[in-house]
Amino acid sequence: MASRILKITSSLRALPKAGTLQRLKSTNAADFARALVNVPPTTVTTLDNGLRVATEDSGAATATVGLWIDAGSRYENANNNGVAHFLEHMAFKGTAKRSQTDLELEVENMGAHLNAYTSREQTVFYAKCLSKDVPKAVEILGDIIQNSKLGESEIERERSVILREMQEVESNLQEVVFDHLHATAYQGTPLGNTILGPTKNIKSITRQDLKDYIDAHYHTPRIVLSAAGGVNHNELVKLAEKELSKLKNTFDGKPPQLSPCRFTGSEVRVRDDSIPLAHIAIAVEGCGWTDQDNVPLMVANTLIGSWDRSQGAGVNNASQLARHSAEDSLCHSFQSFNTCYKDTGLWGIYFVCEPMQCEDMLFNVQSEWMRLCTMVTEFEVERAKNLLKTNMLLQLDGTTPICEDIGRQMLCYNRRIPLHELEKRIDNVTAENVRDVCMKYIYDRCPAVAAVGPVENLPDYVRIRSSMYWLRV
Amino acid sequence: MAFRLDLKRITICNLLRNQNKFLRHFGSQTNDNSGRASNKDGSTVNTPSKEVVTPFPPLTEPLKDLPEVQYASLRTEPEETRVTTLSNGLRVASENRFGQFCTIGVVIDSGPRYEVAYPSGVSHFLEKLAFNSTLEYPEKDIIMRELEKHGGICDCQSSRDTFIYAASADSRGLDQVTKVLAEVVMRPQLKVEEVDMARQSVLFELESLHMRPEQEPLLMDMIHAAAYRDNTLGLPKLCPPINAPKIDRNLLLTYLKHHHTPQRMVVAGVGVNHDDFVKSVEKHFVEKQATWEIEQIKNRGANSIDSSIAQYTGGTKTEECEIPIYASVGLPELAHVVIGLEGCSHQDEDFIAACVLNIMMGGGGSFSAGGPGKGMYTRLYTNVLNRYHWMYSATAYNHAYMDSGLFCIHASAPPTHVRGMIEVITKELVNMATAPNGIELKRAKTQLQSMLLMNLESRPVVFEDIGRQVLANGTRKKTQHFIESIERIQPEDIQRVARRFLSSSPSLAARGQIQGLPTIKDIQSGILQNGVLPGKRLTLFR
Repeated sequence: MASRILKITSSLRALPKAGTLQRLKSTNAADFARALVNVPPTTVTTLDNGLRVATEDSGAATATVGLWIDAGSRYENANNNGVAHFLEHMAFKGTAKRSQTDLELEVENMGAHLNAYTSREQTVFYAKCLSKDVPKAVEILGDIIQNSKLGESEIERERSVILREMQEVESNLQEVVFDHLHATAYQGTPLGNTILGPTKNIKSITRQDLKDYIDAHYHTPRIVLSAAGGVNHNELVKLAEKELSKLKNTFDGKPPQLSPCRFTGSEVRVRDDSIPLAHIAIAVEGCGWTDQDNVPLMVANTLIGSWDRSQGAGVNNASQLARHSAEDSLCHSFQSFNTCYKDTGLWGIYFVCEPMQCEDMLFNVQSEWMRLCTMVTEFEVERAKNLLKTNMLLQLDGTTPICEDIGRQMLCYNRRIPLHELEKRIDNVTAENVRDVCMKYIYDRCPAVAAVGPVENLPDYVRIRSSMYWLRV
Repeated sequence: MAFRLDLKRITICNLLRNQNKFLRHFGSQTNDNSGRASNKDGSTVNTPSKEVVTPFPPLTEPLKDLPEVQYASLRTEPEETRVTTLSNGLRVASENRFGQFCTIGVVIDSGPRYEVAYPSGVSHFLEKLAFNSTLEYPEKDIIMRELEKHGGICDCQSSRDTFIYAASADSRGLDQVTKVLAEVVMRPQLKVEEVDMARQSVLFELESLHMRPEQEPLLMDMIHAAAYRDNTLGLPKLCPPINAPKIDRNLLLTYLKHHHTPQRMVVAGVGVNHDDFVKSVEKHFVEKQATWEIEQIKNRGANSIDSSIAQYTGGTKTEECEIPIYASVGLPELAHVVIGLEGCSHQDEDFIAACVLNIMMGGGGSFSAGGPGKGMYTRLYTNVLNRYHWMYSATAYNHAYMDSGLFCIHASAPPTHVRGMIEVITKELVNMATAPNGIELKRAKTQLQSMLLMNLESRPVVFEDIGRQVLANGTRKKTQHFIESIERIQPEDIQRVARRFLSSSPSLAARGQIQGLPTIKDIQSGILQNGVLPGKRLTLFR
């Protein structure tokens, strides 16, 4: 019943969701300079207790509503790494007034979905339901984040579930490579930690650790209630006042200081010849969410693009790297990424290739990067800008992606960037701008490298580093 | 397993990070290159420079000189699908919808079920060849650029009996995007090089399907082959490797000539004005000739369309092989089985009840992400996955086609439990015929309703829904109609449908280390004897 057609490929979806945009309906140029944005506006209200409520009401029959919390594994230390994720698991294990079974049955009987995820900087709980059930959904969300029971026996049981989840993560080599990439790029800082935490912590985290984490981080200035679909803003504000009143504004102690995470150009290789293909990620330090350079960096990232060999006709691909990969069978797949954090980011590429192709593939990647820095053309940049806009726009289809976009942007920018503004920012990117930004972030910079599998053929770090500049320019 | 861990971390400079990064101000034109390792003052600190290269404020601040904005106001239009039949029999169906983007495409009554007179795999090739060069656009790249101009993306997918070509783009590009679709569907060049590329893609795809632990695509082909032996829906969707060299341009054009005809097509659109859309379709689909009309095609394969009705036969299709395991330690190699029964077509009056039954059976993986709402209280969870720890997954599927349907359960477990797995699933199938309790039925109905509405949030899903319904019935029923039909389902309906399904002879597909797999006869008598397989005693509790 579910359809797969026209879903943006997962690789494209992995693009940073830096915002949304909508084409301006171009009236006559001489006409009133008024942008028509064919989506409902995003309305934001800050409650007395500091909680922000943001909605986009489209009047649909269904809705997504969720809590976006500015807390994640970055706020942990070596001893409690894994707590944020542990909490996400405990959220569905019962509250003061609902047992786990009550909660599950209630959600299932409504035909709703309750979901949660933790990233390095954000923790999210959301519900997708019929519009008429929004009040119930908000009540449930409020209950699970304010009154979670955190029962000792449930905690014990959850340890094995998380360990099993860890196994699943480890079976996904892409995740493994990205964890290694963070571990090396941000070594010695909290961003280098994994989200799940080490086995030792998963086995030892206590109820008190969880409570401490909630007390330290779940405060209204750091929480956004976001909703999209059939939701009335004023009603949601009232619901929030009623159901989320227990959340406190003031910090008991001092608000946790976010220490800058140092990027270290470095590498980690996990050579394992029993794995059939080499999985490699290489990245330079990009910029944080809010930096204006983020937009040209995203254009550059789109220009490199992504490809896998089942797409076949890569020979005609917009991305030069895809063309080379298809013509010379350099790799099985590659995917360019621009992962942002508050004050730093990773801009790079992940690829999967045959064991003896590591060097050739990397050579092509780095040549392409150098070309970006020095002679990328207006034509390519125009094309990448169009693609970027398309990818961002088309992914805003359905209540859940829109709700996610609102929540994330409220946490990152403290506003939702209007579509026409984002479009303007993208439209203004020129080839020169891309070259300047790439010169700044890529050219002659120390990359972080993570490689897993049969990676004997991957050049050593000094050679990789020396391909980050060209002597002939 | 030889596992060498070579953990080496090199730290190159960059130990001191410039903390002033935050102080980068918009407008302050500093021109120092301080970040570079090769910078002037010889510093070895390698941090990005503070040079301002993007002349805008940070993303947290709005741009200054933006035009005043006018947002769309909230409106819920009554959905109405308009259908127009053109002179050559082509149907155009569309629905206007809120938003700047539209999804348009072509839904065709074509696919592997019609391939009996051709080497299987024609549809698989055509899917890979979609959006390649056409008579008007000499290269794929030009098509992509044309779509990019309108912020568009495109896709082609085929199921057993339907081909879908579709594109999403800015509504203002409607005419051009319709033209691209018409070119792609009616006037492909199918150059020899392109067919060769498609062949390579098909082979790559087959190769990677066999390298992945997920077995669904392979198993679904197998269970259909078992259920509809050598006819229509039983023909493979995946090109058998030995057919890859046999498929060439001429054969593909012959197939297209007979199957991709206007009478067998619906051009559907969401978010478009119907009259404009009809005009564009008229211009691009009707007024120009198709490749196979311009060229003389030497007929290969059949000269007519296979119009036979799907014959459900039941039967067995197994493959003893190694299944790739998930790369992590601790997860065992799995054996996969699918047990199928003759279901009902989407035209059948029992179709809605069959969908409710499918949701009630539900299931999924024993370990999967996501919170409540994924069907944790469906029968395959409560009766199977929660009870038998060795079961890795159990999921119910309800495949419905124009003239038949296949209801099946896919399960996986370690090879040592193959027999146990068949016993458990057979018992669950038999169990379907007992009356569901009220809460259980209510839950399944609500979940089906909300699933329907949630899926229809997305424009491409609405497009597909319009296209398929108009292709099958000539009109589109309103969503409300389905919501109400679901509401009316009673326990007796579920029981009646289940009994009807159970009266068919079962089909069985299995892959992996499947020694000890019970025969189809055992399953058949199991179904007749209240779920107990003959021979060895039921060994559920070991």
